[in-house]
Amino acid sequence: MTTFSLFTQYMISGITAGSIYAMVGICWSIVFLLSQVLNFMTGEFVMLGGMMTWVFVEAGLRLPVAAGLAVCCSVVLAIILDQLVIRPVKYPSEIIYMVVTIAAASVVKGVFLLSFGSQTHTIEQFIPSMPFHIAGASVTPQVLCIIGALALIGGGLFLFVSRTFFGKALKASASNANGARLIGVNIHMFMLFGFGLAGAIGAIAGVVITPVTFTGYSVGLMTGIKGLVAAMVGGWSILGTVIAGLIIGQLEGLSAGFISPGWKDAFTLSVMVVFLIGRTMSFPALKPVRKER
Amino acid sequence: MSIQERYRRPLAFAKLIAAVIILPILLPDKYVVTMMFFVAIYGVLSISLGLLVGYAGLFSLAQPTWFGLGAYIAGVLAARGIVPGSLGIVIAAVFVALVSYLLGLGVLRLKGHYLACATICVLIIGEIAFIQLSDITGGHSGLLDVPRLSLLGFAFKTDIHYYFLAWALCIACLCFFSNILCSRVGRAVKSSRDSDLASSAMGINIAKYRIQVFVLTSVASSLAGSILCFYLRFASPSIFSFSLLVQLILMIVVGGGGTLGGYLLGSFLIVWLGELLSVGLGKFLPVMTGEVQSIFFGLLIILFVIFLPDGLSRLPGKWFFLVKKVVGYLSITGKGLRLGQNGKGRSDS
Amino acid sequence: MEKEEAILEVAGISKRFGGILALNRISLCLEKGCIVSMIGPNGAGKTTFVNAVTGIRPPDRGEINFQGEAISGLPAHCIASKGISRTFQLEELFGSLTVLENAMVGCHTRSHCGIFRCGFRLGAFRSEEKRMSEEAMEVLSILGLNQKACDSISTLSLGERKLVGVARALCMRPKLLLLDEPVGGLAAHEIRKFVTLIEGLAKDGLSIFIIEHNMGFVMSISEKVIVLNQGAKIAEGPPAEVKRNKVVIKAYIGEEVP
Repeated sequence: MTTFSLFTQYMISGITAGSIYAMVGICWSIVFLLSQVLNFMTGEFVMLGGMMTWVFVEAGLRLPVAAGLAVCCSVVLAIILDQLVIRPVKYPSEIIYMVVTIAAASVVKGVFLLSFGSQTHTIEQFIPSMPFHIAGASVTPQVLCIIGALALIGGGLFLFVSRTFFGKALKASASNANGARLIGVNIHMFMLFGFGLAGAIGAIAGVVITPVTFTGYSVGLMTGIKGLVAAMVGGWSILGTVIAGLIIGQLEGLSAGFISPGWKDAFTLSVMVVFLIGRTMSFPALKPVRKER
Repeated sequence: MSIQERYRRPLAFAKLIAAVIILPILLPDKYVVTMMFFVAIYGVLSISLGLLVGYAGLFSLAQPTWFGLGAYIAGVLAARGIVPGSLGIVIAAVFVALVSYLLGLGVLRLKGHYLACATICVLIIGEIAFIQLSDITGGHSGLLDVPRLSLLGFAFKTDIHYYFLAWALCIACLCFFSNILCSRVGRAVKSSRDSDLASSAMGINIAKYRIQVFVLTSVASSLAGSILCFYLRFASPSIFSFSLLVQLILMIVVGGGGTLGGYLLGSFLIVWLGELLSVGLGKFLPVMTGEVQSIFFGLLIILFVIFLPDGLSRLPGKWFFLVKKVVGYLSITGKGLRLGQNGKGRSDS
Repeated sequence: MEKEEAILEVAGISKRFGGILALNRISLCLEKGCIVSMIGPNGAGKTTFVNAVTGIRPPDRGEINFQGEAISGLPAHCIASKGISRTFQLEELFGSLTVLENAMVGCHTRSHCGIFRCGFRLGAFRSEEKRMSEEAMEVLSILGLNQKACDSISTLSLGERKLVGVARALCMRPKLLLLDEPVGGLAAHEIRKFVTLIEGLAKDGLSIFIIEHNMGFVMSISEKVIVLNQGAKIAEGPPAEVKRNKVVIKAYIGEEVP
């Protein structure tokens, strides 16, 4: 392979990973904007999507049904999380929510380890066909599914928020919860909706990535953290998160190729931390969305 | 200040020192001594985390990384015969001080959850480094052949030696940090958390104290890590992982109550709880690693945050000793059921 | 009493927050040992002015000189340690500290033990703690709070809370004291006590700058009154003059009074 085709290969794996991080980042953003919660379960939603699909496929269900059920499981888990864990907290603060969702994520992760062991699993591709070639790099059709999923989710959210009444009300309550309450918006329902939506999107991301990489009990943490970083760097806005997620994916793809696969995560996270710090030094590259109280 | 108040702290320390000395006499069982060694080691970590989070308001979650660096640096230097153990501990502490200082300069500019996220990234990067630098650290299989520690000519051979060493460190840290909290620096730190506006207006250089606390707690964690490594004569990346962070969080949530002694109590309770889980459920469950234990720890964190947000340390002091005695008794009856998992190996002596 | 020397000189400071010009080229001069007040309708920029001087929200433009030294652009804690201390409109007391400890925080700049001396209890630590504790108690006694020294601040009334804020600021032994709405919400007898306190402090040579809405208090205690409206200075002078100033009246009431 020539250097150029190598480069293209890394770029493509970068876009693949980046799309996932973008989707995961959207999950973080939605929940944070609506409920001020840093939901560390987001990574586990992704894990759930992949693992439960595998479980259902092993149980004999067809792939689309299995995937659909997995997404439903994730949404149910998200709702349970909101009602049983987040809602009852007595002294709410971002840090407490963070601690509590880290705890919940550990529980879920441990349960999956116990139930299904530590091996990794995979499922078949959505479009069973041979990989095709772009500029000398080989691309599996799954990659198109992943990018398509991001486009659908991102575009769908954008239209939802800007065109539908419910979506606009959601956006309003995200930027000013008290104001929204005053005009009769049911904040709790919106928060619940946000959790459920995050659960769904996370699971979808988990399902589409599984044919490419593997799934297992431990995938949640890394994917989740990268999604969080994408959301933070992107200023919690949908567009910013998507861009940041794609950038993180590219950094990862290129560093895996040109530096070392083992160190790629360390490199990517370091760059992001440096960026976060640099942003505090009086020239913000991406303006964060400020939430009013 | 009344006589009672003036002597409250020294009295509490005296009681703790007495308990530490008496315990191995009352219960000379190796199991108990080893467990209490771990209580001391993790106690240093939970006191450090508690000081950072509870008093300074700094959500710095990278304690396992400093812990690991202390273990690996001292361990590697000793295993390769480059320097004797005692010097290795000092070198590790100096290195960690330097790294945490440089990191702190950048990372402490971040607020609240941004700091938490950045330090979790540091934690993950640290874990990756421990695995990837396998030529030095031994990677997943761990660092082996760490020799016995010998300090100032005294060779640390038995569990009892390490027990006293660990508690010496733990009590020293407790004393040092407690002294700081009861001084002008402590007032500066607490005030910066209550109102950083008013604190600056009173001439307090908040950034300076933040970084000082950050560096000192990381050095304390490093020292604990070095001692652990010499005790186990082994180190592995899985000890210094995210699961450890969950455990530490549980310790400060359970102990809580906003006192350093409370965080030490948290360490005591959770170390014993972890062991109870291993012993009690190890028979039923196929795999009992730190990650499976995290199921229970996670549930406990959630329960405590929802129902007991101030932790347990509001219990009167005598309960503490009562609990200690009860656990000691249980351990005698449970002798022989101990396991060598979760990094709680035994030194051969 | 004629005092020529200026302790604070502010020249043309401006501060913009997004689209709002909160301070518009403010210039003024505070003389040593004087009590000067700043008044103005809500949103005039009074607290912004204090925040600019103390370095919490430095001005975008302009210069601030304290005792001849340029201080604009310095971090807040540096400015404070040069001898400027303040109270806050919302008290901003330290909830996890007792009343005495709150006051002792004020002594921070006049003590030197670093983290190691405190941690190991070395050297001058004990004598310094004792000195700070005694000084803080003295200030609390002057303000009538010594009975409450070991109490948590959550047990205090509003008047007492305001006094703790003042005690804390006084423990710094400042040269210039900035008070942000010190008597808002206080009862008449508490205000009278406060007036006596302020006059006593000024006699001892402390320069005092007060932001207030309570006109009776302001007019009775000030040697000079500065009026701000929508970020700009609209009047400056002795209280009697300012009271009659038509521009000032218009700013408050919104119309000319014949």
